[in-house]
This record gives sequence, structure tokens and C-alpha cells, in this order.
Amino acid sequence: MPHFDQTLDVKGAKCPMPLVKSRKAITELPVGKVLQVISTDRGSVADFQGWAKTAKNVELIAQETVQENGQELYVHYLRRTA
Amino acid sequence: MTFTQDQSTVTEISPRELYARLLSAQPLFILDVRNEDEFKRTPVEGHATLRTLNVPYYDFIEDEEAALARLPKDVEEVVVICAKGGSSQYVAEVLNNHGYRAVSLSEGMIGWGNYYDVRDVTNAAWGRIVQIARPARGDLSFAIISDGQAALVDPLRHINVYRELIEGAGAKLTAILDTHVHADHISGGPALAKETGAPYYIHPYDAIHPIDMLPAVIAYEPLRDGQVFQIGQVRVTTIWYPGHTLGQVNFLAETPDGGRYLFTGDGIFLRSFGRPDLGGKGEAWTPILYRSMFERLPRYLTDDTMILPAHFSTLEEDAGNGIFAAPYKQVLAQNDSLKPRTLEEFTSYVLSHLPVFPPEYVEIKRVNIGLVEPCEGKANELELGKNICALAG
Repeated sequence: MPHFDQTLDVKGAKCPMPLVKSRKAITELPVGKVLQVISTDRGSVADFQGWAKTAKNVELIAQETVQENGQELYVHYLRRTA
Repeated sequence: MTFTQDQSTVTEISPRELYARLLSAQPLFILDVRNEDEFKRTPVEGHATLRTLNVPYYDFIEDEEAALARLPKDVEEVVVICAKGGSSQYVAEVLNNHGYRAVSLSEGMIGWGNYYDVRDVTNAAWGRIVQIARPARGDLSFAIISDGQAALVDPLRHINVYRELIEGAGAKLTAILDTHVHADHISGGPALAKETGAPYYIHPYDAIHPIDMLPAVIAYEPLRDGQVFQIGQVRVTTIWYPGHTLGQVNFLAETPDGGRYLFTGDGIFLRSFGRPDLGGKGEAWTPILYRSMFERLPRYLTDDTMILPAHFSTLEEDAGNGIFAAPYKQVLAQNDSLKPRTLEEFTSYVLSHLPVFPPEYVEIKRVNIGLVEPCEGKANELELGKNICALAG
């Protein structure tokens, strides 16, 4: 698990909310800091990759899938770059 | 702009309405807001009048103005689609706030992929032949209903559609007929047999997985060449037609008014035919297919025999009323692959027109003979996108 500075829990939120909330949280984070996003939306894996490719100040450092109480969690680590 | 998750002011369009508009061939503009990979893999297809643009929803979140600038200015209405219907609502609301008229496809591509269209091919005193289509996949299946009896040809995975149709007609399902063991979609046949007790028929050559060389573990009745089923007043004859699979058959339905309807499965399509390589033995099976197409088929076809295949490739094949069927004479005229060729010419024609071999097709065949049992999510994943059973045009 990479180092992170803040966590955003978007469990249960459906597309596009995980990304809308992540965008907002990244904007409020100081430059260089890392945000951990915990989602239950499987589609978020590919969407965060696509978003990070075109986003102005977001770097996707890592993604992982973890099991918690029988459900899959999709965890994203995003760094604010500028 | 504010976005509320639960109550939206955006108008929705249902899969049924979308299909009606796709069929109508009126100009239509679709904005697909999924990520680029998903868009490329499973786009919504239509007539030449359909324009489609991919701008992922996160581009609207990242830079609304830049995303909006990519849209043409001359569109009257935008149909926004995404994977499940949430992001399309979000983007449609952005568009509506900027002077566009936008609607969102309810339930997204999942809803569209699982949408079924049911309509009569023919409806007469002796009974009906009904086409049950899954338009997103280009999959076609059929029901023959006559005198309170019903048979299904190539039923698809969502079996309630068929149960409702047959119950609505006050009929009893007496035979479930698969033209072959499918590689591109999960058959509804075994599940329907289990639920209704009706026998499920496939040709025994297709009951062995061609790549694994393992036998089916589902319950089935073996079809034989020439076998006849009487469905009310309709006589249905089984005709062995190997090539796409070794156990592929056609079913010829003859009605009391002299109608002849040939359910070809993945034998011949309206503008192409079923590829002979999905068993992993394309070179060995191509001559077998050649004999089926050019020697066996013409023997039982008349000019006015209606050809009803298990797939369409494009909506251009619509006969004009949402029915993907045509008389043999017309198929001969418009289907380049049926032109007379020597075996050598045919072989090189086939080998030069083969599209990609989708890796999941091997697994789908395992599912269809009971070698593996997928959960609902896995089944949806295996059936993503449109069939690739035909040769490329």
C-alpha cells in the first residue's frame, strides 16, 4: 500500500460520484499530497485511469482491489501534482 | 451547476425508445460518455444517419468548457449514454444547462445490452412466427406458435422474455431447438428446459467442446438429420448443415398456407455466413462448410423461402419493419459470399475475411454445454458487445 495523506470514502456511491468527489478532494489537497479513494464501484478502476491521463494536476500512483466483509473494494491513490 | 444524485430534471430515454429511433433511420446524435476503451469495444450502432461521439464524463468534470467545445453545434438533440445511466444523467444536465437538448439513456449500456425486442414475422390463422431480438448484440431468436403449442429456436439467455411470450399466447412449450452450440452468447435453452420440462435439442456433434474435447454435462436430446417436429399445424424439419460447427443444423418450418421459413442459425446470414474457424480448425472445416453451402443448401431452398438467421451484422439488414429476414432470392442477390466459387476460391475468400477470434468464445461454449457455470456478472461480461460470428465484409 503506497503512503497517503488523506482518505476519501465513496463506498456505495455510483458513477459519476466517486470521480466528482475525488476531483473536489484533490483540489482541496496541498500540491504533492496523496489522496486514497475507497470505492465499491468496479467501473471506477478504468475510469480513474482514463481521468488521470487527461487531468491537469492528478497523477494516479496505484490502484488495488481488496476484500472487505465479502465485498470488493477498489482503492485508488492519487497525487496532486500542481 | 449542481448535481443531485437522486432527483434529476433530465429526461430519460428507455432502451425501447432508443431502438425505435435507431430503426427509424432518422438522424440521431449519440454522445457516449464512457471511457475510450469501453466505447471502442461496444459502441451503439445504427444506420448511416447515426452520428456518435465519445467524450468521457470525467472530461466534463475536469474541464466543462473544453469538453463542451468538442460537441457539434448543429445537433437538435443529444442522446447521452454511459455504462449504467448515472454519468449520462450528469452530462445531460450539463448539456441542458448550456442550451443543448439532451436526454439520458436509462440504465446505460447494461440496460441496452439486455434489451429484447419482440415482434411477429408472420401472424396467420394457423399461428405465428415471432422474432425475439437482442439488438445490442445483433442476436436473433424465434418462436413458432400454433394450436396451443410452441417451439423456440435459439433462445437467448434472458428466459423470462420467452416464458412471457408463450404464456401470453396461451401455448405450451414443446421443443427447444438450438441450431448449434453457440460461441458468442449464452443459450437460454438448458435453463428453459430445466424450468419448463420441455426437451432441449442439439446435434450430438456439438455436445463435445471442439477445443477441450470434453462432453456436455447438460441434459439434451440429440437431433438427427431429417428429424421432424410437428408444432400445431407447422411442420419443422431438421437439416444437418455442418461447417460453422460440426453439429450446426437448419430448421425448415412449413406452414399450412405454403409458407417456408428456414431458421439458419449461423449457417447463412442475410449478407454473410457463419465463420468456420471458431472450433479452432478453420482449415479442416472450410471444405465441410463449402459442401453445406453449395451442395446441401440449394436442395431445400426455393426462391421465396424466408431466411431467418440467428444474427444480423448491421441495422441495414432490417427488412423495414424491424424483422431481419428476407426471401432466399433476395439473399442470393445481396450476399456476396453465396456467389458461385470453386473450393479453392471459397477457401481463400474465407481465410481473407476472418475477423478476430474473441478469446471469450471458447469459454462461452464451455458454459453452453455445462462445463462451467458463470454468475450473472460474469455472464454479462462474457456477452459484452456484438457477436462476431460472421465473416467481415
